Amino acid sequence: MRKVLPLILIVICLGASFVTLDFLPEIGDPSSKPNTHTTDYYIEHATTETNAANMVTAVIVDYRAFDTMYETTVMFIAGVAVVLILASHPERKNRIRFRKVRKKESRDGKPVYRTINKEVVIPLIEPMIMLYAIYVLFHGEISLGGGFQAGALLGMTYILDVMVIPERDSLIRLPKDKSTALGGIGTFIYVLTGILCMAGGGVFLEYEKLPIPMHALEKHSTGMLLVEVGVAICVMATIITILNGIMERVHFDDDTD
Amino acid sequence: MMTQIETILAGKGIYFLTLLLLTLGLYGIIVSRNYMKKLICMNIMQVAVIFFFLCFAQKNSGTIPVAMKHIVHAVEYINPLPHGLMLTAIVVSLGTTGVGLALLTRIKEKYGSIEEKDIIEGEKQFR
Repeated sequence: MRKVLPLILIVICLGASFVTLDFLPEIGDPSSKPNTHTTDYYIEHATTETNAANMVTAVIVDYRAFDTMYETTVMFIAGVAVVLILASHPERKNRIRFRKVRKKESRDGKPVYRTINKEVVIPLIEPMIMLYAIYVLFHGEISLGGGFQAGALLGMTYILDVMVIPERDSLIRLPKDKSTALGGIGTFIYVLTGILCMAGGGVFLEYEKLPIPMHALEKHSTGMLLVEVGVAICVMATIITILNGIMERVHFDDDTD
Repeated sequence: MMTQIETILAGKGIYFLTLLLLTLGLYGIIVSRNYMKKLICMNIMQVAVIFFFLCFAQKNSGTIPVAMKHIVHAVEYINPLPHGLMLTAIVVSLGTTGVGLALLTRIKEKYGSIEEKDIIEGEKQFR
């Protein structure tokens, strides 16, 4: 019953929505409502106004930079929230005992993975991922890419290092307090770019008024690069914060202690 | 008759698929009793919404939204706006999933389990 009732409801909802799909625009129609109005303006003016060939980057860090600033802040707040949620333990009297699950002894002993030597392969792959991340970050205006992707790739490198070879000493250690601070630094770089524009006499995040002796279009590129560096640092630090915060506290059923 | 169905499927069929994905996630949230599974289903719903947005960006015979010298008309590029919006949404969904995982870690510490049944039983002990 518990499984059938929601299924019936959902099937009814699906059928109803399939009947009334008329208000949605046709797929691939260039003159549909979402594909006209502002979009044409973005496509036609992005390159000349913002000096960025990649229109997606032009939209998110130039035309809608204020929006992206708060997205970055949300990311930072998510990292802080993970740290705060996991800051305290529940009191011992309010806690329900773990039912100890006896560890099943495998007949074959510990599993040995012989297909890939992870200690050789991971150090080979990691620099390539990081190099690609840097490429994506600095080429975000010209080709496909941007700060969010670069941050995710950099965070992934750390995750790969921590989860695949946990016993190896990392060159860079980022415990959760430091990585939270790093996320704050990333957000701060973003806001600082906006404030620098104000110092040059413009409004917040108006890259043309950056106080640097450059051509106006080059100022646009510089401002976008600064903002993307901030975004990349914030996203990377937040991913690391979430990973570290949870890995410290997580308790598996088959843990020995 | 067949051609009518074909035009409907070509024009609007993808919306049905995204709705299917959305309701699949909703069904999972309602039915599953494990909180981790509920979180995964929430992620599926987020992916469905992202797909739904990206459907609007599509244009027939359009190319990626990176400006090239020999392509000048706006009709020939796909819509960059939904891609930009969803790019940030994907990253923010990562953050929300992280917060959800932290909450699950906390629940597991208090109740020793993330099964709904065990948590309800454990809550009765405190009364």
